[in-house]
Amino acid sequence: MYELSGVSKVYRAGARTVEALSGVDLTVADGEWLAIRGRTGHGKSTLLNLLGGLDRPTAGRVRLDGLDLGRLGDAELTRVRAHAIGFVFQTFNLVPTLSAAENVEAALIPLRVAGAAQRRRRVAAALDSVGLADRAAHLPAELSGGQQQRVAIARALVKEPKVLLADEPTGNLDEDTRDEIIALVEKLWRERGLTLVIVSHDGAIARRAQRAAVMSRGRLTIR
Amino acid sequence: MFFFTYLARELRRRLRQTVFIALGLAVGVGLVLTVTAASAGVRNAQAGVLKGLYGVGTDVTVSGPAPSAQAPGGAQGGGGNRVQIGMGPNGAQMCVNGKCRTLKDGYTIDALASTSYSPISATDVAKVAALRGVTAAAGGLLLTDNQTTISSNPSPPTSFTVDGADIGHPKLGPLSEAAVSSGRAFTAADADKDVALVDKGYAASNGLKVGGTMKIGGVPFTIIGLVGQPAGSGPPNVYIPLARAQAVAKKGPAGGSLKNDVNTIYVTAASAADIPAVQAEIAKLLPAAQVTTPSSLASQVTGSLTSAARLADDLGKWLSVLVLIAAFAVAVLLTMGAVARRVREFGTLKALGWRGRRIIAQVMGESLAVGVIGAAVGVGLGFAGAVVINAIAPALSATLTEATGLHIMTPNGAVNPTTSHTVSVPLTASVGGTAIVAAVGLALAGGLLAGAFGSWRIGRLRPADALAKVG
Repeated sequence: MYELSGVSKVYRAGARTVEALSGVDLTVADGEWLAIRGRTGHGKSTLLNLLGGLDRPTAGRVRLDGLDLGRLGDAELTRVRAHAIGFVFQTFNLVPTLSAAENVEAALIPLRVAGAAQRRRRVAAALDSVGLADRAAHLPAELSGGQQQRVAIARALVKEPKVLLADEPTGNLDEDTRDEIIALVEKLWRERGLTLVIVSHDGAIARRAQRAAVMSRGRLTIR
Repeated sequence: MFFFTYLARELRRRLRQTVFIALGLAVGVGLVLTVTAASAGVRNAQAGVLKGLYGVGTDVTVSGPAPSAQAPGGAQGGGGNRVQIGMGPNGAQMCVNGKCRTLKDGYTIDALASTSYSPISATDVAKVAALRGVTAAAGGLLLTDNQTTISSNPSPPTSFTVDGADIGHPKLGPLSEAAVSSGRAFTAADADKDVALVDKGYAASNGLKVGGTMKIGGVPFTIIGLVGQPAGSGPPNVYIPLARAQAVAKKGPAGGSLKNDVNTIYVTAASAADIPAVQAEIAKLLPAAQVTTPSSLASQVTGSLTSAARLADDLGKWLSVLVLIAAFAVAVLLTMGAVARRVREFGTLKALGWRGRRIIAQVMGESLAVGVIGAAVGVGLGFAGAVVINAIAPALSATLTEATGLHIMTPNGAVNPTTSHTVSVPLTASVGGTAIVAAVGLALAGGLLAGAFGSWRIGRLRPADALAKVG
């Protein structure tokens, strides 16, 4: 469960300061699907970074299952990301030189999963769950945008995280593919009981989420 | 396994850059190896020259001091006699301490003398041998036989070098390197006989053969063998037993006897580390003597050999250093550029839970692999460079010049003849094991340096910043 209280994030660029988040209070229950909408530059991605332990708040607390992510050491925060949090990015962020299977396997490296056979089995299962079992050996460049995002989802889920954070997961996809990806994410959320936070300006996603919130000028409003 | 798969794929993705960096390092390594091989070849050539002069087992050479300066118009013999050859009222005349006699036309003065070095008592050889750190010492006489024919049509004097060799110490001195090509070597029974070994090159150019005779210091010696020295060693022309050399030779052109004297002592030290201490001890024992080691003797050699040595040491060394610095700089810049282009990739890996250390290891591994490729190609280039040097390098010459000690008055003025040996030294560049290890180390260091700079950037990379740069 996420508990955010009084979270602020200020960026400094020389003498100039930009308040990306301002006094955000939020609770996300285990297994909940929260959609966060908002215009570009209003703090959605900053909030997602704080939820994922990719950044630290300037003020306030970001707790995940009681752990204050802002106060954890780098090593501990890395461990939390490795075990508990899966990320899906707008631009897929696959390593271009690695095959689909190897990209998925990359998420298991920090977990030190013993045995190549076990790793292969988990990778195959993850790719199968996103319908890409037959594309395991393909490089990202040999896959369509939708397929690349499926690989990215498999990579996020192969370690069986508690939380899935998605930043504009359909932003680079056409409408049909977008619907496929939303349907896939929804299916996986239901099957795995994930806590799902999706940042998107796509109204279709917000409509399917359990709860929607809007970020505007660094402030979060729950609808 | 994943580490190597990822590494190989990344190197293949940036194949052009990988090849460029590896080639840069390879050229640096190849140049270092080639220059090192050439330097080693020059050093070996120098060592060959010096070995031929003083013997393979000699670590320290002790020579009598150079004879004192002569008064104008005459030759000062080592025994204090004043010799003057010039024109008198009845033609050519030779004056010894002011007593002159007319020389017949065609009269040949044949003087075997220690012209370059003053004598050292033979008893000092035993004293040197007893010093701490000395395993063996042998005395020798390095002599010059000057032959001047008095004639109304004067011709230049001729000379050849003679080594009075201690037959009891065959492994010390110039003769130790010689191989008998015909006839036989000295035996203990030859110690008091008028027998000689002749350098085969000198014998060929002067028509000397085994069984023949030649005059040395006016005494006929039987040639019992011809000997060859390693190429480029500049050996003495003739070897005779030390006892006979002491009996026949004079301290100067008209000087006293050299009986019980030597002018050179060849010393073997217990180890290379003992050489400086031995050198110092001998200098204390024989303060007037010149105590030299092979390295200091190298400075007496002139000719293209020394020019090559200077070229290899100065230009070659600095050229290698510059190329290596350039290769390192290019490797560092390109690696940093590659890391900058992969910021999103590394940010993503951090988001996946990869530790900074693991990502750094990946980058360092890639850089190290490039270093290994550079080292392998560089070693190949080094060998190729050595082959090219051996194929195209002209033979080097080494010139050793020594004063004969004579000061001869001729109708055309005073002549101070010197003897010099110019020998052709083949340059054989060879790549040694140590050089290979050092060069490979350099290439790997270059790779690691490049990786370290790239890693420094990764270490400072915050995942949110990395991902924001593309978002």
